Amino acid sequence: MLLRGLTWLVLFQLLGTAINHLFLAVLPGPIIGLVLLLGYLMIRGEVAESVSLASSSLLRYLPLLLVPPAVGVMVYARDIAADFWAIVGALFLSLLISVAFAGVLMQKLITRQARREERP
Amino acid sequence: MSLDWQGALDAVVHHPLFGIGITLGAYQIVLAAYEKSRWIFLQPVLVSMMLVIGVLLACGLTYTEYRKSTEILSILLGPATVALAVPLYLNLRRIRQLFWPTFTTLVVGGVVATATCVLLGWWFGAEHMILMTMAPKSVTSPIAMLVAEQIGGVAALAAVFVLITGVIGAIFGPALLALCGVHNPAARGMALGLTAHAVGTSVALQEGEECGAFAALAMSLMGVATAVLLPLAVSLIA
Repeated sequence: MLLRGLTWLVLFQLLGTAINHLFLAVLPGPIIGLVLLLGYLMIRGEVAESVSLASSSLLRYLPLLLVPPAVGVMVYARDIAADFWAIVGALFLSLLISVAFAGVLMQKLITRQARREERP
Repeated sequence: MSLDWQGALDAVVHHPLFGIGITLGAYQIVLAAYEKSRWIFLQPVLVSMMLVIGVLLACGLTYTEYRKSTEILSILLGPATVALAVPLYLNLRRIRQLFWPTFTTLVVGGVVATATCVLLGWWFGAEHMILMTMAPKSVTSPIAMLVAEQIGGVAALAAVFVLITGVIGAIFGPALLALCGVHNPAARGMALGLTAHAVGTSVALQEGEECGAFAALAMSLMGVATAVLLPLAVSLIA
Protein backbone atom coordinates (compact mmCIF):
# COMPACT_ATOMS: atom_id res chain seq x y z
CA MET A 1 0.00 0.00 0.00
CA LEU A 2 2.72 2.41 1.08
CA LEU A 3 4.89 1.40 -1.87
CA ARG A 4 2.09 1.90 -4.36
CA GLY A 5 1.44 5.40 -3.04
CA LEU A 6 5.14 6.18 -3.10
CA THR A 7 5.30 5.02 -6.71
CA TRP A 8 2.54 7.48 -7.63
CA LEU A 9 4.34 10.35 -5.92
CA VAL A 10 7.61 9.47 -7.68
CA LEU A 11 5.78 9.16 -10.98
CA PHE A 12 4.27 12.64 -10.64
CA GLN A 13 7.62 14.12 -9.69
CA LEU A 14 9.28 12.49 -12.73
CA LEU A 15 6.50 13.80 -14.94
CA GLY A 16 7.15 17.23 -13.44
CA THR A 17 10.86 16.87 -14.18
CA ALA A 18 10.13 16.01 -17.82
CA ILE A 19 7.86 19.07 -18.17
CA ASN A 20 10.49 21.19 -16.44
CA HIS A 21 13.05 20.17 -19.06
CA LEU A 22 10.71 20.50 -22.01
CA PHE A 23 8.80 23.74 -21.40
CA LEU A 24 9.07 25.28 -17.96
CA ALA A 25 12.67 25.81 -16.87
CA VAL A 26 11.59 28.40 -14.25
CA LEU A 27 9.65 25.96 -12.08
CA PRO A 28 11.41 22.98 -10.48
CA GLY A 29 10.10 19.48 -11.23
CA PRO A 30 8.67 18.75 -7.74
CA ILE A 31 6.52 21.90 -7.80
CA ILE A 32 5.15 21.02 -11.25
CA GLY A 33 4.53 17.50 -9.88
CA LEU A 34 2.60 19.01 -6.95
CA VAL A 35 0.36 21.01 -9.30
CA LEU A 36 -0.16 17.96 -11.54
CA LEU A 37 -1.08 15.70 -8.61
CA LEU A 38 -3.47 18.36 -7.29
CA GLY A 39 -5.13 18.56 -10.72
CA TYR A 40 -5.36 14.77 -10.90
CA LEU A 41 -6.96 14.56 -7.42
CA MET A 42 -9.48 17.27 -8.37
CA ILE A 43 -10.46 15.40 -11.53
CA ARG A 44 -10.71 12.10 -9.66
CA GLY A 45 -12.62 13.68 -6.79
CA GLU A 46 -10.98 11.54 -4.08
CA VAL A 47 -7.61 10.56 -2.66
CA ALA A 48 -6.65 6.89 -3.07
CA GLU A 49 -5.76 5.30 0.27
CA SER A 50 -2.27 4.38 -0.93
CA VAL A 51 -1.46 7.96 -1.97
CA SER A 52 -2.79 9.40 1.28
CA LEU A 53 -0.77 6.86 3.31
CA ALA A 54 2.44 7.56 1.41
CA SER A 55 2.04 11.32 1.59
CA SER A 56 1.24 11.45 5.30
CA SER A 57 4.23 9.18 6.05
CA LEU A 58 6.58 11.35 4.00
CA LEU A 59 5.26 14.65 5.37
CA ARG A 60 5.70 13.41 8.93
CA TYR A 61 9.44 13.26 8.27
CA LEU A 62 9.70 16.51 6.32
CA PRO A 63 11.87 18.19 9.01
CA LEU A 64 14.30 15.24 8.91
CA LEU A 65 14.61 15.54 5.13
CA LEU A 66 15.52 19.22 5.50
CA VAL A 67 18.49 18.55 7.81
CA PRO A 68 21.11 17.66 5.13
CA PRO A 69 20.57 20.84 3.03
CA ALA A 70 20.66 22.81 6.29
CA VAL A 71 24.09 21.47 7.19
CA GLY A 72 25.35 23.30 4.07
CA VAL A 73 25.59 26.41 6.28
CA MET A 74 29.05 25.22 7.37
CA VAL A 75 30.49 25.75 3.88
CA TYR A 76 29.49 29.43 3.74
CA ALA A 77 30.50 30.43 7.25
CA ARG A 78 33.03 33.01 5.99
CA ASP A 79 30.71 34.73 3.47
CA ILE A 80 28.00 34.97 6.08
CA ALA A 81 30.39 36.35 8.70
CA ALA A 82 31.42 39.21 6.38
CA ASP A 83 27.88 40.61 6.11
CA PHE A 84 26.57 38.95 9.27
CA TRP A 85 24.56 41.77 10.88
CA ALA A 86 23.09 43.05 7.63
CA ILE A 87 21.96 39.54 6.70
CA VAL A 88 20.59 38.51 10.07
CA GLY A 89 18.98 41.91 10.70
CA ALA A 90 17.30 42.01 7.29
CA LEU A 91 16.10 38.41 7.41
CA PHE A 92 14.91 38.69 11.00
CA LEU A 93 13.05 42.03 10.77
CA SER A 94 11.61 41.25 7.36
CA LEU A 95 10.29 37.94 8.62
CA LEU A 96 8.70 39.42 11.73
CA ILE A 97 7.08 42.22 9.72
CA SER A 98 5.77 39.95 6.99
CA VAL A 99 4.50 37.16 9.29
CA ALA A 100 2.56 39.64 11.41
CA PHE A 101 1.36 41.55 8.35
CA ALA A 102 0.19 38.46 6.42
CA GLY A 103 -1.49 36.93 9.48
CA VAL A 104 -3.37 40.07 10.48
CA LEU A 105 -4.36 40.87 6.87
CA MET A 106 -5.65 37.34 6.20
CA GLN A 107 -7.64 37.25 9.46
CA LYS A 108 -9.17 40.68 8.76
CA LEU A 109 -10.16 39.62 5.24
CA ILE A 110 -11.68 36.36 6.54
CA THR A 111 -13.80 38.10 9.19
CA ARG A 112 -14.87 40.75 6.68
CA GLN A 113 -15.95 38.10 4.19
CA ALA A 114 -17.79 36.17 6.93
CA ARG A 115 -19.63 39.35 8.00
CA ARG A 116 -20.58 40.14 4.41
CA GLU A 117 -21.99 36.63 3.95
CA GLU A 118 -24.11 37.02 7.08
CA ARG A 119 -25.78 40.17 5.74
CA PRO A 120 -26.33 39.57 2.01
CA MET B 1 49.35 -7.91 18.26
CA SER B 2 47.86 -4.44 18.45
CA LEU B 3 44.42 -3.64 17.17
CA ASP B 4 44.10 -1.06 14.38
CA TRP B 5 41.80 1.39 16.20
CA GLN B 6 42.56 4.27 13.87
CA GLY B 7 41.77 2.17 10.80
CA ALA B 8 38.49 0.96 12.30
CA LEU B 9 37.49 4.53 13.18
CA ASP B 10 38.28 5.70 9.64
CA ALA B 11 36.29 2.83 8.17
CA VAL B 12 33.25 3.76 10.28
CA VAL B 13 33.48 7.52 9.71
CA HIS B 14 33.90 7.20 5.94
CA HIS B 15 31.25 4.50 5.53
CA PRO B 16 28.43 5.69 3.22
CA LEU B 17 25.92 5.08 6.04
CA PHE B 18 27.69 7.33 8.55
CA GLY B 19 26.03 10.53 7.33
CA ILE B 20 22.58 8.98 7.47
CA GLY B 21 23.38 7.48 10.87
CA ILE B 22 24.32 10.77 12.50
CA THR B 23 21.39 12.59 10.82
CA LEU B 24 18.85 10.04 12.05
CA GLY B 25 20.47 9.93 15.49
CA ALA B 26 20.64 13.71 15.92
CA TYR B 27 17.05 14.16 14.71
CA GLN B 28 15.69 11.59 17.17
CA ILE B 29 17.67 12.99 20.09
CA VAL B 30 16.35 16.49 19.38
CA LEU B 31 12.81 15.22 18.89
CA ALA B 32 12.90 13.31 22.17
CA ALA B 33 14.34 16.36 23.98
CA TYR B 34 11.60 18.54 22.47
CA GLU B 35 8.81 16.15 23.54
CA LYS B 36 10.18 16.15 27.07
CA SER B 37 10.81 19.87 27.50
CA ARG B 38 8.46 21.49 24.89
CA TRP B 39 11.08 24.20 24.63
CA ILE B 40 10.47 26.14 21.40
CA PHE B 41 14.15 26.79 20.76
CA LEU B 42 14.60 23.06 20.21
CA GLN B 43 13.56 23.39 16.55
CA PRO B 44 14.26 19.91 15.12
CA VAL B 45 15.88 21.16 11.90
CA LEU B 46 18.05 23.80 13.56
CA VAL B 47 19.33 21.78 16.50
CA SER B 48 19.85 18.60 14.43
CA MET B 49 21.82 20.73 12.00
CA MET B 50 24.09 22.00 14.79
CA LEU B 51 24.61 18.50 16.19
CA VAL B 52 25.47 17.14 12.74
CA ILE B 53 27.89 20.02 12.03
CA GLY B 54 29.53 19.34 15.40
CA VAL B 55 30.02 15.65 14.61
CA LEU B 56 31.31 16.40 11.10
CA LEU B 57 33.87 18.90 12.43
CA ALA B 58 34.94 16.50 15.20
CA CYS B 59 35.45 13.68 12.68
CA GLY B 60 37.12 15.92 10.10
CA LEU B 61 34.52 15.19 7.43
CA THR B 62 33.72 17.66 4.63
CA TYR B 63 30.22 18.79 3.72
CA THR B 64 30.65 17.30 0.24
CA GLU B 65 31.21 13.84 1.70
CA TYR B 66 28.29 14.20 4.13
CA ARG B 67 26.03 15.45 1.34
CA LYS B 68 26.94 12.47 -0.82
CA SER B 69 26.17 9.96 1.91
CA THR B 70 22.78 11.56 2.71
CA GLU B 71 21.76 11.78 -0.93
CA ILE B 72 18.84 9.41 -0.37
CA LEU B 73 17.25 11.84 2.12
CA SER B 74 17.65 14.74 -0.30
CA ILE B 75 16.14 12.69 -3.10
CA LEU B 76 13.04 12.06 -0.97
CA LEU B 77 12.47 15.83 -0.68
CA GLY B 78 11.04 15.78 -4.23
CA PRO B 79 8.25 13.24 -3.60
CA ALA B 80 7.62 14.96 -0.22
CA THR B 81 6.98 18.23 -2.07
CA VAL B 82 4.62 16.42 -4.45
CA ALA B 83 2.90 14.86 -1.41
CA LEU B 84 1.86 18.34 -0.22
CA ALA B 85 -0.85 18.14 -2.90
CA VAL B 86 -2.82 15.76 -0.65
CA PRO B 87 -3.44 18.07 2.38
CA LEU B 88 -3.98 20.85 -0.17
CA TYR B 89 -6.69 18.87 -1.94
CA LEU B 90 -8.36 17.73 1.29
CA ASN B 91 -8.87 21.35 2.35
CA LEU B 92 -9.68 22.65 -1.10
CA ARG B 93 -13.30 23.29 -0.26
CA ARG B 94 -12.36 25.55 2.63
CA ILE B 95 -9.69 27.25 0.53
CA ARG B 96 -12.21 27.85 -2.27
CA GLN B 97 -14.52 29.53 0.24
CA LEU B 98 -11.68 31.81 1.24
CA PHE B 99 -10.40 32.41 -2.28
CA TRP B 100 -10.24 36.23 -2.20
CA PRO B 101 -8.68 36.55 1.28
CA THR B 102 -6.08 33.94 0.24
CA PHE B 103 -5.32 35.58 -3.09
CA THR B 104 -5.05 39.11 -1.67
CA THR B 105 -2.82 37.98 1.18
CA LEU B 106 -0.61 36.08 -1.24
CA VAL B 107 -0.02 39.08 -3.50
CA VAL B 108 0.30 41.81 -0.84
CA GLY B 109 2.04 39.62 1.78
CA GLY B 110 4.43 38.17 -0.80
CA VAL B 111 5.48 41.61 -2.00
CA VAL B 112 5.93 42.82 1.60
CA ALA B 113 8.03 39.75 2.53
CA THR B 114 10.38 40.17 -0.44
CA ALA B 115 10.58 43.98 -0.49
CA THR B 116 11.19 44.50 3.25
CA CYS B 117 14.08 42.04 3.14
CA VAL B 118 15.83 43.63 0.17
CA LEU B 119 15.24 47.19 1.44
CA LEU B 120 16.43 46.40 4.97
CA GLY B 121 19.48 44.53 3.64
CA TRP B 122 20.34 47.48 1.37
CA TRP B 123 19.86 49.91 4.24
CA PHE B 124 22.12 47.79 6.50
CA GLY B 125 24.78 47.89 3.76
CA ALA B 126 24.81 44.34 2.36
CA GLU B 127 26.44 43.77 -1.03
CA HIS B 128 24.43 43.48 -4.25
CA MET B 129 25.24 39.75 -4.52
CA ILE B 130 23.96 39.14 -0.98
CA LEU B 131 20.81 41.20 -1.65
CA MET B 132 19.97 39.22 -4.78
CA THR B 133 20.56 36.01 -2.84
CA MET B 134 18.28 37.16 0.01
CA ALA B 135 15.38 38.26 -2.21
CA PRO B 136 13.86 34.78 -2.70
CA LYS B 137 14.34 33.81 0.99
CA SER B 138 10.66 33.12 1.64
CA VAL B 139 10.27 30.24 -0.84
CA THR B 140 11.35 26.59 -0.79
CA SER B 141 15.06 26.09 -1.41
CA PRO B 142 14.87 24.51 -4.91
CA ILE B 143 12.95 27.52 -6.25
CA ALA B 144 14.99 30.00 -4.25
CA MET B 145 18.25 28.55 -5.55
CA LEU B 146 17.04 28.75 -9.13
CA VAL B 147 15.72 32.30 -8.81
CA ALA B 148 18.82 33.56 -6.94
CA GLU B 149 21.02 32.28 -9.76
CA GLN B 150 18.84 34.00 -12.36
CA ILE B 151 18.90 37.42 -10.70
CA GLY B 152 22.63 37.45 -9.88
CA GLY B 153 22.90 35.78 -6.47
CA VAL B 154 24.57 32.56 -5.30
CA ALA B 155 22.41 29.43 -5.38
CA ALA B 156 23.97 27.55 -2.46
CA LEU B 157 23.89 30.62 -0.18
CA ALA B 158 20.24 31.14 -1.08
CA ALA B 159 19.49 27.72 0.43
CA VAL B 160 21.14 28.88 3.66
CA PHE B 161 19.14 32.13 3.83
CA VAL B 162 15.98 30.19 3.06
CA LEU B 163 16.76 27.94 5.97
CA ILE B 164 17.62 30.77 8.40
CA THR B 165 14.33 32.44 7.47
CA GLY B 166 12.45 29.20 7.97
CA VAL B 167 14.00 28.60 11.37
CA ILE B 168 13.32 32.18 12.57
CA GLY B 169 9.76 31.81 11.32
CA ALA B 170 9.29 28.48 13.08
CA ILE B 171 10.67 29.78 16.38
CA PHE B 172 9.02 33.21 16.51
CA GLY B 173 6.14 32.94 14.00
CA PRO B 174 3.50 31.14 16.12
CA ALA B 175 4.16 33.31 19.21
CA LEU B 176 4.17 36.53 17.17
CA LEU B 177 0.89 35.60 15.49
CA ALA B 178 -0.67 34.91 18.89
CA LEU B 179 0.68 38.26 20.11
CA CYS B 180 -0.99 40.03 17.16
CA GLY B 181 -4.28 38.29 18.00
CA VAL B 182 -4.27 36.03 14.93
CA HIS B 183 -6.05 32.86 16.06
CA ASN B 184 -7.79 31.80 12.86
CA PRO B 185 -6.05 28.56 11.74
CA ALA B 186 -6.32 29.52 8.06
CA ALA B 187 -4.70 32.92 8.69
CA ARG B 188 -1.94 31.40 10.86
CA GLY B 189 -1.17 28.73 8.24
CA MET B 190 -1.18 31.28 5.44
CA ALA B 191 1.26 33.58 7.26
CA LEU B 192 3.61 30.71 8.22
CA GLY B 193 3.67 29.07 4.77
CA LEU B 194 3.95 32.36 2.90
CA THR B 195 6.96 33.62 4.83
CA ALA B 196 8.68 30.50 6.16
CA HIS B 197 8.05 27.91 3.37
CA ALA B 198 8.59 24.21 4.26
CA VAL B 199 9.85 24.80 7.81
CA GLY B 200 6.86 27.06 8.52
CA THR B 201 4.59 24.46 6.94
CA SER B 202 5.95 21.73 9.18
CA VAL B 203 5.19 23.92 12.22
CA ALA B 204 1.73 24.66 10.82
CA LEU B 205 1.08 20.93 10.30
CA GLN B 206 1.72 20.43 14.02
CA GLU B 207 -0.95 23.04 14.82
CA GLY B 208 -3.61 21.21 12.89
CA GLU B 209 -4.71 19.97 9.50
CA GLU B 210 -6.41 23.15 8.30
CA CYS B 211 -3.49 25.30 9.39
CA GLY B 212 -1.12 22.92 7.59
CA ALA B 213 -3.19 22.92 4.42
CA PHE B 214 -3.16 26.71 4.17
CA ALA B 215 0.57 26.73 4.89
CA ALA B 216 1.17 24.22 2.09
CA LEU B 217 -1.04 26.26 -0.22
CA ALA B 218 0.70 29.52 0.64
CA MET B 219 4.12 27.90 0.26
CA SER B 220 3.42 26.51 -3.20
CA LEU B 221 1.64 29.65 -4.45
CA MET B 222 4.44 31.86 -3.10
CA GLY B 223 6.99 29.56 -4.78
CA VAL B 224 5.27 29.71 -8.15
CA ALA B 225 4.70 33.48 -7.90
CA THR B 226 8.32 34.16 -6.90
CA ALA B 227 9.74 31.95 -9.65
CA VAL B 228 7.75 33.77 -12.31
CA LEU B 229 7.55 37.35 -11.02
CA LEU B 230 10.80 38.05 -9.13
CA PRO B 231 13.16 37.72 -12.14
CA LEU B 232 10.70 39.90 -14.07
CA ALA B 233 10.61 42.54 -11.32
CA VAL B 234 14.40 42.62 -10.99
CA SER B 235 14.90 43.02 -14.73
CA LEU B 236 12.36 45.88 -14.78
CA ILE B 237 13.95 47.75 -11.84
CA ALA B 238 17.61 47.19 -12.75
